[in-house]
Amino acid sequence: MEPLSSLTIKGVRTGLLAKKFSALELAQAFFQNIKKADKNIGAYLSLDEEDAIKAAKATALMIANGEKLLPLSGVPLAIKDNMLVKGGPATAASKILKGYKSSYDATVITKLKAAGAVILGKTNLDEFAMGSSTENSAFQKTKNPHDPTRVPGGSSGGSAAAVAGGMAVAALGSDTGGSIRQPAALCGVVGLKTTYGSVSRNGIIALASSLDQVGPFAKTSEDAARMFDVIRGVDTMDSTSTAVDYGPDLLEPKPENIKNLVVGLPHEYFVDGLDPKVAGAVRDAIKVLESLGVHFKEISLPHTKYALSCYYIILPAEASSNLARFDGIRYARLPGVDGSLSDIYFKQKGLGFGAEPKRRMMLGAFVLSSGYYDAYYDKAQRVRTLIARDFEDAFRDVDVILTPTTPTPAFKLGEKASDPLAMYLSDIFTIPVNLAGLPAVSIPTAQKAGDLPIGFQLIGKHFREADILGLGRLYEGSTRD
Amino acid sequence: MSSPITKATIAHLANLTRLQLTPAEEERLLHDLQKILKHFEELSALDTTSVPPMTGGTVARNVFRDDAGGESTNRGAGKEGFPETKDGYLKIPGVF
Repeated sequence: MEPLSSLTIKGVRTGLLAKKFSALELAQAFFQNIKKADKNIGAYLSLDEEDAIKAAKATALMIANGEKLLPLSGVPLAIKDNMLVKGGPATAASKILKGYKSSYDATVITKLKAAGAVILGKTNLDEFAMGSSTENSAFQKTKNPHDPTRVPGGSSGGSAAAVAGGMAVAALGSDTGGSIRQPAALCGVVGLKTTYGSVSRNGIIALASSLDQVGPFAKTSEDAARMFDVIRGVDTMDSTSTAVDYGPDLLEPKPENIKNLVVGLPHEYFVDGLDPKVAGAVRDAIKVLESLGVHFKEISLPHTKYALSCYYIILPAEASSNLARFDGIRYARLPGVDGSLSDIYFKQKGLGFGAEPKRRMMLGAFVLSSGYYDAYYDKAQRVRTLIARDFEDAFRDVDVILTPTTPTPAFKLGEKASDPLAMYLSDIFTIPVNLAGLPAVSIPTAQKAGDLPIGFQLIGKHFREADILGLGRLYEGSTRD
Repeated sequence: MSSPITKATIAHLANLTRLQLTPAEEERLLHDLQKILKHFEELSALDTTSVPPMTGGTVARNVFRDDAGGESTNRGAGKEGFPETKDGYLKIPGVF
């Protein structure tokens, strides 16, 4: 078997069909590696060996019976712990949901199971997906597999570290302001934020409902496309999900079409303060794509600098409403929480939520409160329109936009933990995409062994994941063995 | 400009969000919220009077499903996770 850290979905398929390994052996190999490697990384919050082995045996049986393989047959996956897998925990890395058992499968989980996937376990995150380093988890800190003194990014840091550390072939994360792309960049894997409405949010613990989207982590753009193709689609349980025909381009992009795409470079994203290593790596990636025949064009997204403020008004407003449901009456209740209805509310939330959810709930309540709604929330919604229009205008001239994914490579554990604003700034390049509901992928740049990973971001038009993943494949095809 | 966030605001917001806070948490939140709000002042530089607000994550139009009955996939689910039950009913403290 090839090393687990480089095994792809395609590799699993080829290996299973050639009988190089069985689905059961593969699942067992991953659990062995997790038990060894995850002591130092802390990617997983819980494992589900029993169900995973059952799913792997089902694939083994299919192969024994000569049946055709499903799209993800026998593929070992990690799932961010803010998604429901029936019967298992879904903590959102918060004490407030400790002990809660999921009462149904999220739509994306139903789809993964139907596609033959083997779900290994649930991964760590910043509490309720609020953060950019996975340090806000109430349970453990996840470390970057490339350098354990550094953060894996967040909020889907556990999923990114699991894929980067050879503890899953691919994974699911959720992205509200960069929570898939930023950790993907910091851990050196591919991370796709899908178009708003392309993937059902049913069964995902909501952070900010107008921004949240589920998407995959994978080792290659091709694998990300395979994962996305399985989880996407309209769902009656999510009224914002949309039926879109993606055609054959998603899984089988035509190189001649991809090379004809015009890629915009927004000068607002190549600013002073961008780490020189990041700037250099991204410029090298642009040169590689240029040498393959892709055309580039300078563009402007003039309202970029307002995106952070806009986002940190809209997100807390929606979060303060979404998090109100964890009241100690439904879901789990913490020990020692009792008294009148009001006592239970106050105690449960006071004891259950960590510092970041509290900060955002308070901020959200403020921007929505009487006397301040117009100055903050309404204002931010109007600025959101301006940011969305920036992209609309740009996409009249270009097909895809290329930017760095993050301003710096992975930072040290603890470095930004005490300054919320500094932490928020690590998402400045990813946030505008969520405000506009667009798809975007972070692709690891080619680099020397031992260097910290750096990612570049490709932003596409609504429902044009095929363009950005196709460009990713083109780049990977010329930079990887 | 003095911050709209004062000690009294923190107490008011804690009540709105039903959060029991320690004095140390109140102090920290006062400092953090003042600092974050200061950052938001940059938005006042933008004239948005003629810009409509974007109220959702998508520009897609609303669609309606057929008005037909159906079985909910998770009917009854969740009651096993309810903290208190009695004789098959979900139990909560008195509201009044």
